[in-house]
Amino acid sequence: MDNSLKLQKRTPSFLEILRSYGTLIAGLLIVLCFCILQPDTFATLDNAITVSRQISFLVMIALGATLIMAVGEFDLSIGAMASLGGIFAAQLAVAGYPIWAAYLITLVVAFIIGFINGWIVTRFRVLSFITTLGMGTILGGFTFWLSDGATIFEGIPASFRYIGQEKLFNLPFLSFIMLILTLIFWYLMSQTTFGRKLYAIGGNEAAARASGIRIRLNKNMAFALCALLASLTGILMASRLGSAQPTGGDGLFLPAYAAVFLGMTTFKEGIPNIWGTFLGATILGILENGLTIMEVPPFLQNVITGLIVIAAVVLQKIGQSESR
Amino acid sequence: MLQAKQIAKKFGNHYALLNCSLSIEAGEVHALVGENGAGKSTLIKIITGVYGHDEGEILWENQVVHIAEPKDAKRLGIHAVYQDRHLIPFFTGYENLYLGLEYPKNPLTQAIDWKSLRNQAEDLRQELEIPLDLRKTVSEMSPPEKTMLEVLRAMMLDCRLLILDEPTASLTDQESERLFQLIERLVKTGKSILYVSHRLEEIFQISDRITVLRNGQVVRTEKTPEVNQEQIIQMMTDNQWKSSLVENKEIDQSATLALELENLVTIDHSVKNASLTVREGEIVGVFGLAGSGRTQMLEAIYGLREIEAGVVKLYGETIQRFTPNLSLERGLVLISEDRRKHGLIMNMSIRENMTLPVLKRFSKGLQLLSVKEKKAVSTWMDRLQVKATHPEQAVEELSGGNQQKVVFAKALLTEPRLFLCDEPTQAVDVRTRSEIHQLLRKQTKQQKGVLYVSSDLQEILDIADRIYIFYQGSTIAEMENKDLTLEKVLQISFGQTQGGDRTNG
Repeated sequence: MDNSLKLQKRTPSFLEILRSYGTLIAGLLIVLCFCILQPDTFATLDNAITVSRQISFLVMIALGATLIMAVGEFDLSIGAMASLGGIFAAQLAVAGYPIWAAYLITLVVAFIIGFINGWIVTRFRVLSFITTLGMGTILGGFTFWLSDGATIFEGIPASFRYIGQEKLFNLPFLSFIMLILTLIFWYLMSQTTFGRKLYAIGGNEAAARASGIRIRLNKNMAFALCALLASLTGILMASRLGSAQPTGGDGLFLPAYAAVFLGMTTFKEGIPNIWGTFLGATILGILENGLTIMEVPPFLQNVITGLIVIAAVVLQKIGQSESR
Repeated sequence: MLQAKQIAKKFGNHYALLNCSLSIEAGEVHALVGENGAGKSTLIKIITGVYGHDEGEILWENQVVHIAEPKDAKRLGIHAVYQDRHLIPFFTGYENLYLGLEYPKNPLTQAIDWKSLRNQAEDLRQELEIPLDLRKTVSEMSPPEKTMLEVLRAMMLDCRLLILDEPTASLTDQESERLFQLIERLVKTGKSILYVSHRLEEIFQISDRITVLRNGQVVRTEKTPEVNQEQIIQMMTDNQWKSSLVENKEIDQSATLALELENLVTIDHSVKNASLTVREGEIVGVFGLAGSGRTQMLEAIYGLREIEAGVVKLYGETIQRFTPNLSLERGLVLISEDRRKHGLIMNMSIRENMTLPVLKRFSKGLQLLSVKEKKAVSTWMDRLQVKATHPEQAVEELSGGNQQKVVFAKALLTEPRLFLCDEPTQAVDVRTRSEIHQLLRKQTKQQKGVLYVSSDLQEILDIADRIYIFYQGSTIAEMENKDLTLEKVLQISFGQTQGGDRTNG
């Protein structure tokens, strides 16, 4: 195919551009729609700030899910991990630990639990799906035990709420944390050897191993970081509310993966990527915010959100088969 | 019966096929030959509806037909038996036969009527005289049995054209002979066979006409009795790239031993007793068929497969721990047989693939040094003449030959002392093949050692200084590549294996 058949250079067609940036364009269209429909409530600076705070939890937990999906695995325990994070930190605070220690101990525990997830998967070659399903159930049990199944709010010192409720230049701390974490993980995934190795493992584990990459160590680290982010999300949720609910983080599990999948349809096509995830989570957050403002009932919101996720992935697949 | 006219197929930016025309008549065995990567598999996949084509048309009994998906081909009566078998391992022969077919059902309960299913299958099996126990699961069957099963499956439906893609690749001569007898019986009943193989002897034995493909184009179709093997090889290869790189030099007995294997046994016993040496500055060829354990031997040395017993010495030092990571540090590099599976990460770019084993060199702490990385990659792309639009192109978009060049650039970047090459010219075009041979020869001038495994004896004779014969997990003969011919080597290896059980392949 080398000498007789020449390579042809092509400029990307309209369809290809639409495929790569379709999700971004759709996101902008959604914003535009809400701006036109609700100019007084949606299209305000205050609301934009609110959205940035609302999406911060989803973005943070989805960053971890992005790492796990980049190595070609799944972590079904992130929702339970977030719930546990909130309860664990709150109980430590109630027990009189300094706030920073309560946060730190929780994060360290989460990191270790995540590492154990990875260890079971890589050491015994158990499907991550099964491992983390089991781990999620275990964590749920612990959370229940620690909280007696009730919301913890009595005895939580006021300083526990500081990070979740304070603002800087009128912008919530949470929004800053989200942006900083996104930048850190973008750097980690695209500018470091660690990120390159994770993508290599996800792309072809056998080839990565033959290239001398230590599969087990790197995968374990991905699981550990994923759990770390999930528990941080849980801590910050508890801090924001000033109370910790034993099922507080459970609801983030599915939207987190929805955000990653949405993100995979854009920028780096078919590959989990940090800015894609950020965009995906943002779209989901804006939808929730906008639809709530328009007083769309919650059940219908769910239907619309689900449809949009499926539509985005279907459209990308259609684009792919066109070019085959 | 079938006519393909001016077929063209593009993958990404390059043509895999261009102006391919082929006609197959009723009751003929039509052979399709060509070097690896010439486009044989692609053409078959177009005829069977796995791929669409970009230009040209297909005629079936003089009518234009659209074969958009495999179902359409089957409806016409076109069936294929592929190299990679499409069978479900834990199903029995019967169950596999009926995959995708209407099961006979009990009219009352609508449950599968196993008895009449078995009877139908048995009738057909006996009619075609295929010796096969269909009660066995596929995982219990030997390679030839699986091939027979696939042929049988094709016959379950009204098959008019049967396509066999390298059916004898994993068969012994005796087993192949059984297959040829079956083919003969099929042709007598008026069925046509499109036969793809690398083995020219068999093609001359069984085919009526031969079509030669080169670089995605049809060179010519000839009646088999009117041509000979050399002419076909010439058409396939363009000849100018065939040249022996063996320098009939005396083997330097004093050169340092780069690698020594003594009675190596792997834990899965795919390697039973391998002993060999590789000196610095030497290309050592290992001739062995697929499935003989030669791949597993290289994997064991490299640290991808566990070793049960035996000694591995690198530059005189006995190795205790084997991991790919350590191997790379010790200066070993493996060019894997299956680059899609073990060599490359297909969805990553040329750049990312090339530097994967040496990320340490292109980073400071965790931070990647992308300027340095890009520079090195473009240097190596130039040096090996990798044809791509840019270094950021995903390797899956490259042709087989260029992918293999990326594999080699990746290997060379690790600055190895010893190359372990497993069929490194598989599925690459002739020019790249020759470039790879020259590249390895050049490396030996810098005192690098090369262990070169191939099932193509001619290739081994063209490149190796010394040759080992590998058979059923063991090295059974060693010879210097001096005044050797194909016949001589085969004679020696046959002499050695005569006593063994040939049917176990």
